[in-house]
Amino acid sequence: MQTLRMDSRLLNSFLEALRAWGTLVAPVERSPGVFALAEIEDVGSARPEAQRTILPFKKLLLKPSFCMLERRDGQAARESTDNDPGPMVYFGAHACDIHALKILDLLYLSEYVDPYYKRNRERLTVVGHGCFPDEKCFCRSQGTANVDDGFDLFLTPLEGRYLVTIASARGDDIVRANQALFEPSTRRDVQEYMTRLKEREKTFTLSMDVTDLPYVLELKRDDPVWEELGKKCLCCGSCSMVCPTCSCFNVHDEIPEEGVTRRMRKWDACLYREYALVAGGHNFRATRADRVKNRYYHKQEAFVREFGKPSCVGCGRCIENCPTGINVVEVFKAVRGEL
Amino acid sequence: MSVLIPEAMPVRTPRRKLATGANPYAPAPARIMRIRELTSDIRLFDLRFTDSTLADSFAFRPGQFVELSVLGVGEGPFSLPSSPTRRGVFQLGIRRVGSLTNYLFDHVIEGDEVGIRGPLGNGFPIEMFEGQDMLLVAGGLGMVPLRGLLNYLIDQRERFGRVILLYGTRTPEQVLFRDELQSLSHRGDAEILLSVDDTQGQAWTGKVGVVTELLDMVKFDVSRTYAVACGPPVFYKFMLEKLVDRGFGRHRIYLSLERRMECGVGKCGHCAVGYTFTCLHGPVFSYWDAINLPELIYT
Repeated sequence: MQTLRMDSRLLNSFLEALRAWGTLVAPVERSPGVFALAEIEDVGSARPEAQRTILPFKKLLLKPSFCMLERRDGQAARESTDNDPGPMVYFGAHACDIHALKILDLLYLSEYVDPYYKRNRERLTVVGHGCFPDEKCFCRSQGTANVDDGFDLFLTPLEGRYLVTIASARGDDIVRANQALFEPSTRRDVQEYMTRLKEREKTFTLSMDVTDLPYVLELKRDDPVWEELGKKCLCCGSCSMVCPTCSCFNVHDEIPEEGVTRRMRKWDACLYREYALVAGGHNFRATRADRVKNRYYHKQEAFVREFGKPSCVGCGRCIENCPTGINVVEVFKAVRGEL
Repeated sequence: MSVLIPEAMPVRTPRRKLATGANPYAPAPARIMRIRELTSDIRLFDLRFTDSTLADSFAFRPGQFVELSVLGVGEGPFSLPSSPTRRGVFQLGIRRVGSLTNYLFDHVIEGDEVGIRGPLGNGFPIEMFEGQDMLLVAGGLGMVPLRGLLNYLIDQRERFGRVILLYGTRTPEQVLFRDELQSLSHRGDAEILLSVDDTQGQAWTGKVGVVTELLDMVKFDVSRTYAVACGPPVFYKFMLEKLVDRGFGRHRIYLSLERRMECGVGKCGHCAVGYTFTCLHGPVFSYWDAINLPELIYT
């Protein structure tokens, strides 16, 4: 890892330079205070300081719905290029977003490698940007408030300049191709980073007690709290759609149209009634309580047992988007009997 | 005769790929060689990969499964009732139950091509079974995956001790592979006891009652026996604890489970139970592992 610095006034030149590595994607302000990830035409429209985008970056790695295989009449089935946007540069990733990508990598790039994810991921350049938490951020509790790897470059805003971290050979390529933009970092830069870090720590207002959580959940499997939650949850799936690590999908075939048959892959959510339905009509999670409970267990128990860390990065998107106001932090407080 | 069996692998191993191709979602074409009716709603399909190299090299463990697909209709998981000791052709036992299987029953004939992905899942720990007595317990359609294991044991008879099969169905008509089982029994290769809930007035020499009652009719040495059970949830509910009562340690009982396996490779999430993907870590579990995964057996 190497550290440099860049004058803030050079940001737009830097963004222009990033285009050489692929389609530039960054948060843009859709309406006041509402941000979305979008392809950037005018580099001035990028808003890397945006608290959180409605949808996370997963939507660009694996589209909400895409064709995996297709067959034209009389030909053999072939892999489709539907989910193939070409090289991309993700500018404005926060620490939690980068942790989320690392979690998706664990799932999709281990064992049987997912070729649709791999293709886009390998060509993705990640440029992170420092952030300050709001009242929905609880990344600190999930161990995802800071990040050391999983990106190419990371820009931490300091007074009038950025501290620039290089964490990959590709990041190094970008820097070497644009040497005029960067200069060596100084002790003062590092000192200012330390001050910023301390201030940021103090800004957190939301936290979640994760002490022994997988075992606590094991003990609380039959707790009435889940039934109560089942009454409140509509099982609309919003939390899963906006979650940067939720990545379940459904596969279905389209009825042949104009001689083309397609096997489609579409985002799914464990909250949907049909999720655990098997042929013959048996539903392994028939009630809303079963399904919403399963989602929390998957994030905080199952994933921990499988990979040694939770698959929640504390980004706060589910809190922001739940139509009935379910707050994940409150849920786990209730589980611990603290509400 | 050389038998080709893929190595048992722990999950979350380094990258690996399916025999049917590097893209785990892309099926390889296979031809339906023969279709036989087992009961009024269950058929046995014999298949062979169109690519002859793949056909001859296709290796799987008893207890593994494949995904069969017809592009434009859908895809579904099916267990393999054939043994890897018989190369070139593999079999699927399929019950008419949904849109894909309706299509297979109504529109697919011998000579047609379908898509296959696999082999998927962990399969039975057959290495541990060597030299041991084997107690196979099947309920209903659970005979389909167990027939693959049974044939594997029979084809290498000298490597195993006693082979006992206890198999219960509702009626005599629903007994799968009846002729085959009878001949195995007559040859003395296996000790086979059958039960039906109801004879429906037909000639029946087996037991009338539930399959758990067959367990009381055989003697075995639990210290040198593995039990392998496969059946519907209600079957597990009574059978597993009954095996424990008969002295089996929970780690000497294996079972094969059904879930909604869609991608088959631990990605889509549908078959997840706790931290377990039934398609990747299973479908075969020891009773000890299964009982420690709430929801796994009895939801």
